[in-house]
Amino acid sequence: MKAKPFLVAVPAALALALAGCGGSTGNNTDTGSGTNASSAPKDCSSEDVFCIGLVTDTGSVDDKSFNQAAWEGVKAMEGDGIQTKYIETKDAKDYASNLKQFTDQKYDAIVTVGFLMTEATRTAAAANTTTKFIGVDQFQESDVANVTGLVFPEANAGYAAGYLAGLLTKTNKIGVVLGQEIPPTQNYAKGYEQGSKAANPKISVAKVYHPAGDNAFSDSPWGAGEAKKMLAQGADIIFGAGGGTGNGALGEVAKSKGAGESLYCIGVDLDQWDTVPEAHPCLVTSAEKKLTDGTTTLLKQAKDGSIKGGNFNGKTGLAAYHDFDSKIPAEVKTKVADVVKGIEDGSVKVA
Amino acid sequence: MQWVQHNKIWAGAAALILIGAYAFYFVNSNIAVSMFSYAWFLAVPLVLGAMVGVMGERSGVVNIGIEGQMLVGAFAGFFAAAATQSVVIGVIAGALSGIAMGAFLAFSTVVGQLDQIIAGVVINIVATGITSFYFESGKTIPRGLPNFDVPLLSDIPLIGPVFFSDGPIALFALIIAFTLHFMLFKTRWGLRTRAVGEYPSAADTAGINVVALRLFNVTVAGTLAGLAGTYLSMEATSTFERNMSSGRGFLALAILIFGAWRPLRALAAALFFGFMQSLASQLQASDVVNIPQQFINLLPYVLTLVVLAAAAGRVRAPGAVGQPFVKGD
Repeated sequence: MKAKPFLVAVPAALALALAGCGGSTGNNTDTGSGTNASSAPKDCSSEDVFCIGLVTDTGSVDDKSFNQAAWEGVKAMEGDGIQTKYIETKDAKDYASNLKQFTDQKYDAIVTVGFLMTEATRTAAAANTTTKFIGVDQFQESDVANVTGLVFPEANAGYAAGYLAGLLTKTNKIGVVLGQEIPPTQNYAKGYEQGSKAANPKISVAKVYHPAGDNAFSDSPWGAGEAKKMLAQGADIIFGAGGGTGNGALGEVAKSKGAGESLYCIGVDLDQWDTVPEAHPCLVTSAEKKLTDGTTTLLKQAKDGSIKGGNFNGKTGLAAYHDFDSKIPAEVKTKVADVVKGIEDGSVKVA
Repeated sequence: MQWVQHNKIWAGAAALILIGAYAFYFVNSNIAVSMFSYAWFLAVPLVLGAMVGVMGERSGVVNIGIEGQMLVGAFAGFFAAAATQSVVIGVIAGALSGIAMGAFLAFSTVVGQLDQIIAGVVINIVATGITSFYFESGKTIPRGLPNFDVPLLSDIPLIGPVFFSDGPIALFALIIAFTLHFMLFKTRWGLRTRAVGEYPSAADTAGINVVALRLFNVTVAGTLAGLAGTYLSMEATSTFERNMSSGRGFLALAILIFGAWRPLRALAAALFFGFMQSLASQLQASDVVNIPQQFINLLPYVLTLVVLAAAAGRVRAPGAVGQPFVKGD
């Protein structure tokens, strides 16, 4: 039989090409929406009732993530003359129709969750200029009078996490596993490095970004591998900042020998004690975006009319220490608390 | 010794790599061990995937559905473990789902004479659909598969910590690569498999049941794909993400070709690819050279492409791969 090189080369090239496009996203194809009503519907066009609607990003309001945190911020507003309601988005193409359900009923304030909804929110706002829109985690490129983007300076949260890591490390080596290299992850990394150096000048920080691809924030095996490598090279604290990719890193630290004794991990965005239970053995805290607090603040402003369009900087900080509360020395805790306070009042400069 | 004489290039290359690896180990044991461990960590699903390809293609059935089989394995393993809170049941479910996917490919192509490429594409599409439709966030498993040290073997410098102190599926991948190599080239089953993949009519004339052998091989290979998926969701991590396999099944196909349809060469090829990724990440993390990380991360793909281009002309696919067998045709 004669050799046919092309028989080999063609599938080889095909395989490589397919490997490149293997990361397409699969969204939930379920359509329709879950809704709730906290009480009998009131007439939202009336002056006496302040109606707050929340449209979730694809996912439920009890997702232990952004949707839930924002909904808790809405619930904190509940009281006399206030009606709250949420719509759960099942598919990204339903953003506009879900928003329309609220605008048709003349809701006074509408909260939308997640940066994916930025465009849909701005479009709805242009058509309903009397309604106040609050876009959680939606950076506004240009100001629209009735849209307020609730954004968080990631560098500040990263700084606090880095400062804690700098105080806790015994090996003077720490690591950070990030998602795709985009401004939010770059800011987390920058703050983390800066904070750790402020606490411990001898420290060296290993950082890796996921090689860009559309699974950069959901490649947990990759994150786990990176964490494994950093640990083997002597790092004792790993900050996982990149969705599922970062969570993979947390899980790997939790599995390693010495987790919680000499090895620690730090979560990101929300209190990951709730979202990543497999990280409990090592998770000291999380660099947190205070979503609930920010949502409530903006809703109060919307109610009394002082809200402004553009971007609103929410608070950042560290989540609770949970099981590690007793293991972390009191002086470390005070120092970290001081730094968090310093970032807030501006006395600690984060570039 | 005869083997060494017949495979001078390979033996030489293997010796050089081994010497190089140990030289690196003595210069900086920490970094060497961590980089090789990382390479193996990434290579495990690729090795298992490539073995799926070896079993299928050596008997004449192309399997481009490895990606989908892996994804379903990851999904079934994780959610079975989450529902029952037992990792053992998870692993079994992952392997069984692999068998089911393998059986689909086997029966549709061998018995139903469906085009093998189309059957593979169907598997990939169905896998993506099913796993994202039934995906539920917030599920957790009690813990991932634990790592353990293999007695004695794990004490070998460099090789021990890299290959013999991982989880059970990683160890299984190593064993299966050697076992399959032995089986393929030294046993009756192997000879028959190769005959069926090379020239099925002749094998049929000699009294081998081509259909039965292909059905068996492709179905059993599915187990390995299922385990590769289970490795991703339960050993490398303890979570499931949408589209978790993210191209690893296709990469395994490239590695299969790179490895010339031979299990041990595919193992070496997977390790090579893993090591290139390890190198890229090490360059990025240690910040020694100031190159944008996107370029560094291209390295594994570019190098694989180069090596593949150089190797592609010299390797030959099994003769009957992709052709359905019709008795008496």
